[in-house]
Amino acid sequence: MGPLIDPFVDNDFMLRALLAGALVSIACAVVGTYVVLRGLSFIGDALAHGLLPGVAGALLIGWPTMLGAAVGAGVMIGGVGVVTKRSRLSSDAAIGLLFVGLLALGIVVISSSDSITTSLEAILFGEFLGVSDGDLWALGVAVLVVGAVAAWSARPFLLLCFDPDLASVMGYRANRYHQLMLALVAGTIVVAFQTVGSLLVFGMLLAPAGVGSLLARRVGVMMMWASVVGVLSTYVGLLLSYHYGWAAGATVVLVSVVIFFVVLIATSFVPRRVA
Amino acid sequence: MASACGSGESAPTTAAEVAPDSVVPTTEPIETTEAPELSTIVVTTSILGAVVTDVVGDAAEVSVLVPNGTDPHDWEPSAQDIEALSGADLVVANGLDLEEKLVEALDAAESSGTRVFHATDHIEPLAGDEHGDEHGDEHGDENKSEDDHGHSHAEGDPHFWTDPLAMASVVAALGDELAAIGVDVSDRVDRVITDLKDVDGVITQLLSSLPEDRRVLVTGHDSLGYFAEHYGFTLIGSIIPSLSSAADVTAKNLAELKEAIGKTGASVIFTELGTPTDVADALADETGTRVVELATHLVPDDGLYRSFLLNLASDIVAALSATS
Repeated sequence: MGPLIDPFVDNDFMLRALLAGALVSIACAVVGTYVVLRGLSFIGDALAHGLLPGVAGALLIGWPTMLGAAVGAGVMIGGVGVVTKRSRLSSDAAIGLLFVGLLALGIVVISSSDSITTSLEAILFGEFLGVSDGDLWALGVAVLVVGAVAAWSARPFLLLCFDPDLASVMGYRANRYHQLMLALVAGTIVVAFQTVGSLLVFGMLLAPAGVGSLLARRVGVMMMWASVVGVLSTYVGLLLSYHYGWAAGATVVLVSVVIFFVVLIATSFVPRRVA
Repeated sequence: MASACGSGESAPTTAAEVAPDSVVPTTEPIETTEAPELSTIVVTTSILGAVVTDVVGDAAEVSVLVPNGTDPHDWEPSAQDIEALSGADLVVANGLDLEEKLVEALDAAESSGTRVFHATDHIEPLAGDEHGDEHGDEHGDENKSEDDHGHSHAEGDPHFWTDPLAMASVVAALGDELAAIGVDVSDRVDRVITDLKDVDGVITQLLSSLPEDRRVLVTGHDSLGYFAEHYGFTLIGSIIPSLSSAADVTAKNLAELKEAIGKTGASVIFTELGTPTDVADALADETGTRVVELATHLVPDDGLYRSFLLNLASDIVAALSATS
Protein backbone atom coordinates (compact mmCIF):
# COMPACT_ATOMS: atom_id res chain seq x y z
CA MET A 1 0.00 0.00 0.00
CA GLY A 2 3.01 2.18 -0.18
CA PRO A 3 5.45 3.74 2.22
CA LEU A 4 2.81 5.97 3.81
CA ILE A 5 0.55 3.23 5.14
CA ASP A 6 2.58 0.04 5.19
CA PRO A 7 4.75 0.86 8.21
CA PHE A 8 1.61 1.03 10.34
CA VAL A 9 -0.04 -2.03 8.83
CA ASP A 10 3.06 -4.22 9.09
CA ASN A 11 4.25 -3.14 12.51
CA ASP A 12 2.13 -3.36 15.58
CA PHE A 13 4.46 -1.08 17.50
CA MET A 14 3.95 1.66 14.91
CA LEU A 15 0.19 1.35 15.06
CA ARG A 16 0.22 1.49 18.84
CA ALA A 17 2.51 4.50 18.82
CA LEU A 18 0.16 6.20 16.35
CA LEU A 19 -2.88 5.42 18.50
CA ALA A 20 -1.16 6.58 21.66
CA GLY A 21 0.08 9.71 19.92
CA ALA A 22 -3.40 10.46 18.60
CA LEU A 23 -4.96 10.07 22.05
CA VAL A 24 -2.29 12.30 23.57
CA SER A 25 -2.87 14.80 20.77
CA ILE A 26 -6.59 15.03 21.51
CA ALA A 27 -6.15 15.42 25.26
CA CYS A 28 -3.39 17.94 24.68
CA ALA A 29 -5.45 19.84 22.10
CA VAL A 30 -8.17 20.48 24.67
CA VAL A 31 -5.86 21.26 27.57
CA GLY A 32 -3.22 22.96 25.45
CA THR A 33 -5.66 25.48 24.03
CA TYR A 34 -6.22 26.78 27.55
CA VAL A 35 -2.51 26.62 28.25
CA VAL A 36 -1.81 28.81 25.23
CA LEU A 37 -4.70 31.20 25.84
CA ARG A 38 -3.97 31.64 29.52
CA GLY A 39 -0.18 31.70 29.28
CA LEU A 40 0.33 28.60 31.42
CA SER A 41 3.13 27.12 29.37
CA PHE A 42 5.81 27.68 31.95
CA ILE A 43 3.94 25.75 34.61
CA GLY A 44 3.25 23.11 31.98
CA ASP A 45 6.97 22.75 31.37
CA ALA A 46 7.65 22.78 35.08
CA LEU A 47 5.06 20.05 35.64
CA ALA A 48 6.50 17.92 32.86
CA HIS A 49 9.90 17.93 34.53
CA GLY A 50 8.99 18.54 38.15
CA LEU A 51 7.27 15.19 38.51
CA LEU A 52 10.67 13.50 38.29
CA PRO A 53 11.27 13.16 42.06
CA GLY A 54 7.80 11.66 42.41
CA VAL A 55 8.61 9.08 39.76
CA ALA A 56 12.00 8.35 41.31
CA GLY A 57 10.44 7.99 44.74
CA ALA A 58 7.79 5.65 43.37
CA LEU A 59 10.47 3.50 41.74
CA LEU A 60 12.35 3.36 45.03
CA ILE A 61 9.45 2.12 47.13
CA GLY A 62 7.83 0.11 44.36
CA TRP A 63 4.71 2.18 43.76
CA PRO A 64 3.25 2.66 40.31
CA THR A 65 5.13 5.49 38.64
CA MET A 66 1.93 7.25 37.69
CA LEU A 67 1.05 7.64 41.36
CA GLY A 68 4.47 9.10 42.09
CA ALA A 69 4.14 11.45 39.15
CA ALA A 70 0.76 12.62 40.43
CA VAL A 71 2.25 13.33 43.86
CA GLY A 72 5.10 15.25 42.21
CA ALA A 73 2.64 17.30 40.18
CA GLY A 74 0.55 17.98 43.28
CA VAL A 75 3.60 19.22 45.17
CA MET A 76 4.47 21.47 42.24
CA ILE A 77 1.04 23.07 41.97
CA GLY A 78 0.60 23.35 45.74
CA GLY A 79 4.10 24.74 46.15
CA VAL A 80 3.59 27.42 43.54
CA GLY A 81 0.39 28.45 45.30
CA VAL A 82 2.07 28.64 48.69
CA VAL A 83 5.10 30.59 47.43
CA THR A 84 3.04 33.17 45.57
CA LYS A 85 0.72 33.63 48.53
CA ARG A 86 3.39 33.86 51.22
CA SER A 87 6.03 35.87 49.39
CA ARG A 88 6.28 38.76 46.99
CA LEU A 89 7.68 36.53 44.30
CA SER A 90 5.81 36.54 41.02
CA SER A 91 4.27 33.27 39.93
CA ASP A 92 6.91 32.65 37.25
CA ALA A 93 9.66 32.96 39.85
CA ALA A 94 7.73 30.58 42.10
CA ILE A 95 7.29 28.11 39.26
CA GLY A 96 10.97 28.33 38.33
CA LEU A 97 12.00 27.77 41.92
CA LEU A 98 9.90 24.63 42.29
CA PHE A 99 10.81 23.45 38.79
CA VAL A 100 14.54 23.53 39.40
CA GLY A 101 14.22 22.32 42.98
CA LEU A 102 12.13 19.28 42.11
CA LEU A 103 14.21 18.43 39.07
CA ALA A 104 17.37 18.57 41.16
CA LEU A 105 15.77 16.45 43.87
CA GLY A 106 14.83 13.87 41.29
CA ILE A 107 18.36 13.68 39.93
CA VAL A 108 19.84 13.40 43.41
CA VAL A 109 17.44 10.58 44.30
CA ILE A 110 18.25 8.69 41.09
CA SER A 111 22.00 9.19 41.36
CA SER A 112 22.16 8.15 44.98
CA SER A 113 20.19 4.96 44.51
CA ASP A 114 21.72 1.75 43.27
CA SER A 115 18.35 0.15 42.81
CA ILE A 116 16.99 2.56 40.20
CA THR A 117 18.30 1.33 36.90
CA THR A 118 16.00 3.46 34.78
CA SER A 119 17.88 6.39 33.38
CA LEU A 120 16.78 9.98 33.60
CA GLU A 121 16.37 10.00 29.84
CA ALA A 122 14.03 7.03 29.91
CA ILE A 123 11.83 8.75 32.48
CA LEU A 124 11.77 12.06 30.68
CA PHE A 125 11.45 10.78 27.14
CA GLY A 126 9.25 7.76 27.63
CA GLU A 127 9.10 4.65 25.52
CA PHE A 128 7.06 5.81 22.59
CA LEU A 129 7.69 2.66 20.57
CA GLY A 130 6.83 0.32 23.42
CA VAL A 131 3.19 1.24 24.01
CA SER A 132 1.23 -1.50 25.81
CA ASP A 133 -2.50 -2.17 25.94
CA GLY A 134 -2.58 -0.76 29.46
CA ASP A 135 -1.01 2.47 28.25
CA LEU A 136 -3.64 2.82 25.56
CA TRP A 137 -6.47 2.26 28.03
CA ALA A 138 -5.02 4.81 30.44
CA LEU A 139 -4.72 7.35 27.64
CA GLY A 140 -8.25 6.64 26.44
CA VAL A 141 -9.65 7.22 29.93
CA ALA A 142 -7.59 10.39 30.22
CA VAL A 143 -9.06 11.73 26.98
CA LEU A 144 -12.59 11.04 28.20
CA VAL A 145 -11.99 12.68 31.58
CA VAL A 146 -10.26 15.70 30.09
CA GLY A 147 -13.03 16.09 27.51
CA ALA A 148 -15.78 15.77 30.13
CA VAL A 149 -14.22 18.25 32.54
CA ALA A 150 -13.52 20.73 29.75
CA ALA A 151 -17.07 20.47 28.45
CA TRP A 152 -18.56 20.80 31.91
CA SER A 153 -16.57 23.92 32.74
CA ALA A 154 -16.37 25.36 29.24
CA ARG A 155 -17.99 28.64 30.19
CA PRO A 156 -15.96 29.51 33.30
CA PHE A 157 -12.78 28.39 31.51
CA LEU A 158 -13.61 30.71 28.63
CA LEU A 159 -14.22 33.64 30.98
CA LEU A 160 -11.01 32.82 32.80
CA CYS A 161 -9.12 33.07 29.54
CA PHE A 162 -10.50 36.35 28.33
CA ASP A 163 -11.94 38.17 31.29
CA PRO A 164 -11.17 36.75 34.75
CA ASP A 165 -12.89 39.68 36.46
CA LEU A 166 -16.10 39.02 34.63
CA ALA A 167 -15.90 35.41 35.72
CA SER A 168 -15.95 36.52 39.36
CA VAL A 169 -18.73 38.95 38.70
CA MET A 170 -20.80 36.19 37.16
CA GLY A 171 -20.40 34.11 40.26
CA TYR A 172 -17.65 31.71 39.19
CA ARG A 173 -14.85 31.36 41.68
CA ALA A 174 -11.97 32.19 39.40
CA ASN A 175 -9.29 30.69 41.59
CA ARG A 176 -11.10 27.41 41.90
CA TYR A 177 -11.36 27.09 38.13
CA HIS A 178 -7.77 28.15 37.76
CA GLN A 179 -6.78 25.28 40.02
CA LEU A 180 -9.03 22.92 38.09
CA MET A 181 -7.36 23.98 34.86
CA LEU A 182 -3.93 23.34 36.38
CA ALA A 183 -5.14 19.96 37.55
CA LEU A 184 -6.19 19.14 33.98
CA VAL A 185 -2.76 20.12 32.68
CA ALA A 186 -1.09 18.06 35.40
CA GLY A 187 -3.39 15.09 34.83
CA THR A 188 -2.70 15.04 31.10
CA ILE A 189 1.04 15.18 31.69
CA VAL A 190 0.97 12.52 34.40
CA VAL A 191 -0.96 10.02 32.28
CA ALA A 192 0.87 10.68 29.04
CA PHE A 193 4.49 11.24 30.03
CA GLN A 194 5.50 7.66 30.68
CA THR A 195 4.13 6.48 27.38
CA VAL A 196 5.26 9.22 25.09
CA GLY A 197 7.73 11.13 27.28
CA SER A 198 7.52 14.53 28.85
CA LEU A 199 9.15 16.30 25.92
CA LEU A 200 6.44 15.02 23.62
CA VAL A 201 3.61 15.87 26.01
CA PHE A 202 4.90 19.38 26.46
CA GLY A 203 5.38 19.84 22.73
CA MET A 204 1.88 18.54 22.10
CA LEU A 205 0.45 20.94 24.67
CA LEU A 206 1.93 23.96 22.94
CA ALA A 207 2.52 23.57 19.20
CA PRO A 208 -0.85 22.24 17.94
CA ALA A 209 -2.76 24.58 20.23
CA GLY A 210 -0.56 27.38 18.93
CA VAL A 211 -1.61 26.50 15.38
CA GLY A 212 -5.22 26.47 16.56
CA SER A 213 -4.87 29.98 17.95
CA LEU A 214 -3.46 31.14 14.61
CA LEU A 215 -6.30 29.67 12.58
CA ALA A 216 -9.37 30.18 14.71
CA ARG A 217 -11.02 32.58 17.07
CA ARG A 218 -13.43 30.32 18.87
CA VAL A 219 -12.09 28.00 21.52
CA GLY A 220 -13.91 24.97 20.17
CA VAL A 221 -12.56 25.47 16.66
CA MET A 222 -9.06 26.02 18.06
CA MET A 223 -9.30 22.66 19.77
CA MET A 224 -10.40 21.02 16.54
CA TRP A 225 -7.45 22.46 14.65
CA ALA A 226 -5.11 21.52 17.48
CA SER A 227 -6.35 17.93 17.40
CA VAL A 228 -5.89 17.71 13.65
CA VAL A 229 -2.39 19.16 13.80
CA GLY A 230 -1.46 16.91 16.71
CA VAL A 231 -2.62 13.72 15.02
CA LEU A 232 -1.01 14.77 11.74
CA SER A 233 2.29 15.52 13.50
CA THR A 234 2.22 12.12 15.16
CA TYR A 235 1.63 10.38 11.85
CA VAL A 236 4.27 12.33 9.92
CA GLY A 237 6.78 12.18 12.77
CA LEU A 238 6.44 8.41 13.11
CA LEU A 239 6.83 7.96 9.37
CA LEU A 240 10.00 10.07 9.37
CA SER A 241 11.34 8.08 12.31
CA TYR A 242 10.55 4.91 10.40
CA HIS A 243 12.09 5.89 7.09
CA TYR A 244 15.03 7.97 8.28
CA GLY A 245 15.82 6.43 11.66
CA TRP A 246 15.22 9.55 13.72
CA ALA A 247 14.33 9.39 17.42
CA ALA A 248 10.58 8.87 17.42
CA GLY A 249 9.28 11.21 20.12
CA ALA A 250 11.55 14.09 19.21
CA THR A 251 10.63 13.83 15.53
CA VAL A 252 6.92 14.09 16.32
CA VAL A 253 7.50 17.22 18.40
CA LEU A 254 9.71 18.70 15.71
CA VAL A 255 7.05 18.18 13.06
CA SER A 256 4.40 19.90 15.16
CA VAL A 257 6.66 22.90 15.80
CA VAL A 258 7.56 23.10 12.11
CA ILE A 259 3.84 23.06 11.26
CA PHE A 260 3.35 25.93 13.68
CA PHE A 261 5.96 28.07 11.97
CA VAL A 262 4.75 27.21 8.50
CA VAL A 263 1.23 28.21 9.48
CA LEU A 264 2.54 31.32 11.20
CA ILE A 265 4.34 32.43 8.05
CA ALA A 266 1.41 31.50 5.82
CA THR A 267 -1.15 33.34 7.92
CA SER A 268 0.98 36.45 8.18
CA PHE A 269 0.74 36.81 4.41
CA VAL A 270 -3.00 36.32 4.35
CA PRO A 271 -4.84 39.49 5.33
CA ARG A 272 -7.04 38.67 8.26
CA ARG A 273 -10.62 39.66 8.37
CA VAL A 274 -11.11 41.81 11.38
CA ALA A 275 -13.93 40.54 13.46
CA MET B 1 32.09 -11.81 52.66
CA ALA B 2 35.30 -13.56 51.82
CA SER B 3 38.26 -11.87 53.38
CA ALA B 4 41.60 -11.42 51.74
CA CYS B 5 43.53 -14.51 50.89
CA GLY B 6 46.75 -14.84 49.01
CA SER B 7 45.94 -17.61 46.61
CA GLY B 8 43.12 -19.47 45.01
CA GLU B 9 40.64 -17.77 42.81
CA SER B 10 38.54 -15.85 45.25
CA ALA B 11 38.69 -12.10 45.15
CA PRO B 12 39.60 -10.43 48.44
CA THR B 13 36.61 -8.21 48.51
CA THR B 14 33.56 -8.11 46.38
CA ALA B 15 34.02 -5.33 43.94
CA ALA B 16 30.39 -4.52 44.43
CA GLU B 17 31.00 -3.78 48.05
CA VAL B 18 33.66 -1.22 47.35
CA ALA B 19 31.33 1.71 47.24
CA PRO B 20 32.61 5.14 46.30
CA ASP B 21 32.36 6.34 49.88
CA SER B 22 34.97 3.88 51.02
CA VAL B 23 37.52 5.37 48.67
CA VAL B 24 39.50 6.77 51.54
CA PRO B 25 39.64 3.81 53.90
CA THR B 26 39.23 5.04 57.45
CA THR B 27 39.12 1.65 59.09
CA GLU B 28 42.15 0.15 57.47
CA PRO B 29 42.71 -3.27 59.02
CA ILE B 30 46.35 -3.54 60.02
CA GLU B 31 46.95 -7.21 59.73
CA THR B 32 50.27 -7.38 57.97
CA THR B 33 53.64 -6.07 58.90
CA GLU B 34 54.04 -4.42 55.54
CA ALA B 35 54.35 -0.71 55.09
CA PRO B 36 51.01 0.71 56.24
CA GLU B 37 50.77 2.98 53.20
CA LEU B 38 49.13 0.91 50.47
CA SER B 39 48.85 2.20 46.92
CA THR B 40 45.34 3.21 46.00
CA ILE B 41 43.89 1.99 42.73
CA VAL B 42 40.63 3.43 41.50
CA VAL B 43 38.75 1.39 38.91
CA THR B 44 35.88 2.95 36.99
CA THR B 45 33.49 0.03 36.51
CA SER B 46 32.56 -2.96 38.62
CA ILE B 47 33.51 -5.68 36.15
CA LEU B 48 36.95 -4.24 35.59
CA GLY B 49 37.06 -3.72 39.35
CA ALA B 50 36.47 -7.42 39.98
CA VAL B 51 39.41 -8.29 37.73
CA VAL B 52 41.74 -5.69 39.21
CA THR B 53 40.82 -6.81 42.71
CA ASP B 54 41.63 -10.36 41.73
CA VAL B 55 44.98 -9.34 40.28
CA VAL B 56 46.03 -7.04 43.10
CA GLY B 57 44.86 -9.04 46.09
CA ASP B 58 45.74 -7.12 49.23
CA ALA B 59 48.85 -5.58 47.74
CA ALA B 60 46.95 -2.36 47.17
CA GLU B 61 43.70 -0.69 48.01
CA VAL B 62 41.17 -1.11 45.17
CA SER B 63 37.98 0.88 44.90
CA VAL B 64 35.32 1.07 42.21
CA LEU B 65 33.54 4.25 41.13
CA VAL B 66 30.43 3.14 39.24
CA PRO B 67 28.32 1.10 41.66
CA ASN B 68 27.68 -2.45 40.50
CA GLY B 69 24.24 -2.58 38.94
CA THR B 70 24.35 0.98 37.66
CA ASP B 71 24.53 1.49 33.94
CA PRO B 72 28.08 2.79 33.34
CA HIS B 73 26.95 4.51 30.14
CA ASP B 74 24.61 6.63 32.15
CA TRP B 75 26.32 7.07 35.50
CA GLU B 76 27.35 10.50 36.72
CA PRO B 77 30.27 11.06 39.10
CA SER B 78 29.92 12.89 42.39
CA ALA B 79 32.49 15.35 43.74
CA GLN B 80 33.74 12.55 46.00
CA ASP B 81 34.39 10.37 42.97
CA ILE B 82 36.43 13.08 41.26
CA GLU B 83 38.47 13.50 44.43
CA ALA B 84 39.14 9.77 44.50
CA LEU B 85 40.29 9.94 40.89
CA SER B 86 42.80 12.69 41.44
CA GLY B 87 44.11 11.14 44.65
CA ALA B 88 44.66 7.66 43.21
CA ASP B 89 48.07 6.17 42.54
CA LEU B 90 46.59 4.45 39.53
CA VAL B 91 43.25 4.79 37.78
CA VAL B 92 42.05 1.86 35.70
CA ALA B 93 39.53 2.94 33.07
CA ASN B 94 37.91 1.27 30.11
CA GLY B 95 39.57 3.52 27.55
CA LEU B 96 36.83 3.63 24.94
CA ASP B 97 34.61 6.04 26.82
CA LEU B 98 32.34 3.44 28.34
CA GLU B 99 32.05 5.74 31.34
CA GLU B 100 30.56 8.49 29.20
CA LYS B 101 30.03 11.03 31.90
CA LEU B 102 33.44 10.46 33.45
CA VAL B 103 35.44 11.14 30.31
CA GLU B 104 36.19 14.76 31.08
CA ALA B 105 37.08 14.07 34.69
CA LEU B 106 39.42 11.30 33.56
CA ASP B 107 41.06 13.61 31.04
CA ALA B 108 41.46 16.28 33.68
CA ALA B 109 42.97 13.85 36.19
CA GLU B 110 45.31 12.46 33.57
CA SER B 111 46.53 15.85 32.46
CA SER B 112 47.18 16.85 36.05
CA GLY B 113 49.45 13.90 36.51
CA THR B 114 47.32 10.98 37.66
CA ARG B 115 48.38 7.66 36.15
CA VAL B 116 45.52 6.29 34.06
CA PHE B 117 45.58 2.77 32.66
CA HIS B 118 43.28 2.48 29.65
CA ALA B 119 42.33 -1.17 29.36
CA THR B 120 41.35 -1.05 25.70
CA ASP B 121 44.78 0.28 24.72
CA HIS B 122 45.92 -3.30 25.18
CA ILE B 123 43.43 -5.12 23.00
CA GLU B 124 42.43 -4.91 19.38
CA PRO B 125 39.19 -2.98 19.68
CA LEU B 126 36.31 -3.94 17.47
CA ALA B 127 35.05 -1.06 15.41
CA GLY B 128 31.72 0.24 16.51
CA ASP B 129 28.76 0.03 14.24
CA GLU B 130 28.85 3.05 11.96
CA HIS B 131 25.21 3.76 12.43
CA GLY B 132 21.95 1.94 12.90
CA ASP B 133 21.70 1.62 9.13
CA GLU B 134 23.76 -1.53 8.87
CA HIS B 135 21.54 -3.46 11.19
CA GLY B 136 19.57 -6.32 9.90
CA ASP B 137 22.43 -7.30 7.65
CA GLU B 138 23.65 -10.83 7.72
CA HIS B 139 26.71 -10.22 9.77
CA GLY B 140 28.00 -8.05 12.53
CA ASP B 141 30.98 -5.99 11.57
CA GLU B 142 34.23 -7.81 11.43
CA ASN B 143 36.50 -4.98 10.49
CA LYS B 144 38.93 -4.25 13.22
CA SER B 145 40.71 -1.00 13.65
CA GLU B 146 44.08 -0.75 15.26
CA ASP B 147 44.10 1.52 18.22
CA ASP B 148 46.90 3.99 18.35
CA HIS B 149 48.73 3.68 21.60
CA GLY B 150 48.74 7.28 22.66
CA HIS B 151 45.29 7.65 24.12
CA SER B 152 43.27 10.05 22.03
CA HIS B 153 39.65 9.01 22.46
CA ALA B 154 39.72 6.23 19.96
CA GLU B 155 36.44 5.07 18.55
CA GLY B 156 35.49 1.51 19.14
CA ASP B 157 33.47 -0.98 21.08
CA PRO B 158 34.25 -0.70 24.81
CA HIS B 159 32.59 -4.00 25.84
CA PHE B 160 35.77 -6.08 25.64
CA TRP B 161 35.06 -7.89 28.92
CA THR B 162 32.71 -10.32 27.22
CA ASP B 163 35.84 -12.02 25.78
CA PRO B 164 38.08 -13.58 28.46
CA LEU B 165 41.14 -13.64 26.20
CA ALA B 166 40.85 -9.92 25.53
CA MET B 167 40.68 -9.50 29.29
CA ALA B 168 43.76 -11.69 29.63
CA SER B 169 45.84 -9.37 27.46
CA VAL B 170 44.59 -6.42 29.49
CA VAL B 171 45.63 -8.23 32.69
CA ALA B 172 49.11 -8.85 31.30
CA ALA B 173 49.52 -5.16 30.52
CA LEU B 174 48.08 -4.24 33.89
CA GLY B 175 50.78 -6.31 35.57
CA ASP B 176 53.47 -4.12 34.02
CA GLU B 177 51.59 -0.99 35.01
CA LEU B 178 51.27 -2.22 38.59
CA ALA B 179 54.97 -3.03 38.72
CA ALA B 180 55.66 0.54 37.58
CA ILE B 181 53.86 1.95 40.63
CA GLY B 182 55.63 -0.48 42.91
CA VAL B 183 52.94 -3.10 43.30
CA ASP B 184 54.57 -6.38 42.43
CA VAL B 185 51.98 -9.06 41.87
CA SER B 186 53.48 -10.89 38.91
CA ASP B 187 52.61 -14.33 40.30
CA ARG B 188 48.99 -13.29 40.72
CA VAL B 189 48.96 -11.86 37.21
CA ASP B 190 50.11 -15.19 35.82
CA ARG B 191 47.55 -17.02 37.89
CA VAL B 192 44.70 -14.79 36.73
CA ILE B 193 45.73 -15.12 33.07
CA THR B 194 45.85 -18.91 33.39
CA ASP B 195 42.46 -18.80 35.03
CA LEU B 196 41.02 -16.67 32.21
CA LYS B 197 42.32 -19.10 29.60
CA ASP B 198 40.76 -21.91 31.57
CA VAL B 199 37.42 -20.09 31.68
CA ASP B 200 37.66 -19.53 27.95
CA GLY B 201 38.02 -23.29 27.48
CA VAL B 202 35.07 -24.00 29.73
CA ILE B 203 32.88 -21.52 27.85
CA THR B 204 33.88 -22.93 24.47
CA GLN B 205 32.92 -26.34 25.80
CA LEU B 206 29.65 -24.98 27.15
CA LEU B 207 28.75 -23.33 23.86
CA SER B 208 29.61 -26.35 21.75
CA SER B 209 26.22 -27.84 22.50
CA LEU B 210 24.56 -25.00 20.66
CA PRO B 211 23.84 -25.71 16.98
CA GLU B 212 25.03 -23.23 14.38
CA ASP B 213 21.58 -21.89 13.48
CA ARG B 214 20.91 -20.92 17.08
CA ARG B 215 24.04 -18.86 17.48
CA VAL B 216 22.25 -15.56 16.94
CA LEU B 217 22.06 -12.65 19.34
CA VAL B 218 19.52 -9.85 19.67
CA THR B 219 20.53 -7.50 22.45
CA GLY B 220 19.49 -4.33 24.25
CA HIS B 221 22.39 -2.31 22.94
CA ASP B 222 25.51 -3.34 21.01
CA SER B 223 27.24 -4.96 23.97
CA LEU B 224 28.14 -8.48 22.87
CA GLY B 225 30.41 -7.71 19.91
CA TYR B 226 33.51 -9.28 21.45
CA PHE B 227 31.61 -12.29 22.70
CA ALA B 228 30.10 -12.85 19.25
CA GLU B 229 33.41 -12.36 17.50
CA HIS B 230 35.29 -14.70 19.80
CA TYR B 231 32.75 -17.49 20.10
CA GLY B 232 31.30 -17.40 16.61
CA PHE B 233 27.89 -15.85 17.09
CA THR B 234 26.00 -13.68 14.65
CA LEU B 235 24.74 -10.34 15.90
CA ILE B 236 21.26 -9.78 14.53
CA GLY B 237 20.92 -6.32 15.97
CA SER B 238 19.88 -4.46 19.06
CA ILE B 239 17.00 -2.39 20.29
CA ILE B 240 19.27 0.58 20.75
CA PRO B 241 21.68 0.22 17.82
CA SER B 242 24.53 1.91 19.60
CA LEU B 243 27.54 1.01 21.68
CA SER B 244 25.92 3.06 24.40
CA SER B 245 22.65 2.26 26.12
CA ALA B 246 21.99 5.99 26.40
CA ALA B 247 21.05 6.45 22.74
CA ASP B 248 17.51 6.61 21.43
CA VAL B 249 15.13 4.08 19.93
CA THR B 250 13.99 4.80 16.39
CA ALA B 251 11.11 3.32 14.44
CA LYS B 252 13.37 2.53 11.49
CA ASN B 253 15.75 0.43 13.54
CA LEU B 254 12.95 -1.32 15.34
CA ALA B 255 11.28 -2.24 12.07
CA GLU B 256 14.57 -3.53 10.64
CA LEU B 257 15.26 -5.47 13.78
CA LYS B 258 11.81 -7.02 13.62
CA GLU B 259 12.41 -8.06 10.03
CA ALA B 260 15.84 -9.45 10.85
CA ILE B 261 14.40 -11.46 13.74
CA GLY B 262 11.78 -12.89 11.41
CA LYS B 263 14.35 -13.76 8.77
CA THR B 264 16.90 -15.40 11.06
CA GLY B 265 14.43 -17.12 13.33
CA ALA B 266 16.00 -15.65 16.44
CA SER B 267 13.94 -16.75 19.42
CA VAL B 268 15.25 -14.56 22.21
CA ILE B 269 15.69 -10.84 22.86
CA PHE B 270 18.34 -10.24 25.50
CA THR B 271 17.77 -7.15 27.61
CA GLU B 272 20.38 -5.47 29.73
CA LEU B 273 20.84 -2.56 32.07
CA GLY B 274 19.45 0.51 30.31
CA THR B 275 17.31 -1.38 27.81
CA PRO B 276 13.86 0.17 27.43
CA THR B 277 11.83 -2.77 28.73
CA ASP B 278 8.49 -1.69 27.28
CA VAL B 279 9.99 -1.56 23.81
CA ALA B 280 11.61 -4.97 24.28
CA ASP B 281 8.31 -6.45 25.46
CA ALA B 282 6.42 -4.93 22.54
CA LEU B 283 8.95 -6.27 20.06
CA ALA B 284 8.87 -9.71 21.65
CA ASP B 285 5.07 -9.74 21.50
CA GLU B 286 5.12 -8.88 17.87
CA THR B 287 7.83 -11.32 16.80
CA GLY B 288 6.82 -14.20 19.04
CA THR B 289 10.16 -14.16 20.81
CA ARG B 290 11.02 -14.27 24.50
CA VAL B 291 12.67 -11.53 26.53
CA VAL B 292 15.57 -12.77 28.66
CA GLU B 293 17.50 -10.51 30.96
CA LEU B 294 21.24 -10.79 30.61
CA ALA B 295 23.86 -9.44 33.02
CA THR B 296 26.28 -7.87 30.58
CA HIS B 297 27.40 -5.04 32.86
CA LEU B 298 26.88 -6.61 36.27
CA VAL B 299 29.22 -8.46 38.61
CA PRO B 300 27.48 -11.44 40.29
CA ASP B 301 27.12 -11.69 44.06
CA ASP B 302 30.37 -13.52 44.62
CA GLY B 303 32.24 -10.63 43.06
CA LEU B 304 34.17 -12.78 40.60
CA TYR B 305 34.76 -11.95 36.96
CA ARG B 306 35.03 -15.68 36.35
CA SER B 307 31.46 -16.17 37.56
CA PHE B 308 30.35 -13.23 35.45
CA LEU B 309 31.68 -14.91 32.31
CA LEU B 310 30.32 -18.33 33.16
CA ASN B 311 26.90 -16.89 34.03
CA LEU B 312 26.84 -14.90 30.82
CA ALA B 313 27.70 -17.92 28.70
CA SER B 314 25.36 -20.31 30.46
CA ASP B 315 22.48 -17.81 30.42
CA ILE B 316 22.97 -17.39 26.70
CA VAL B 317 23.14 -21.13 26.11
CA ALA B 318 20.12 -21.81 28.28
CA ALA B 319 18.05 -19.13 26.57
CA LEU B 320 19.04 -20.05 23.03
CA SER B 321 18.75 -23.81 23.38
CA ALA B 322 15.30 -23.72 24.95
CA THR B 323 12.70 -24.73 22.41
CA SER B 324 10.36 -21.80 22.81
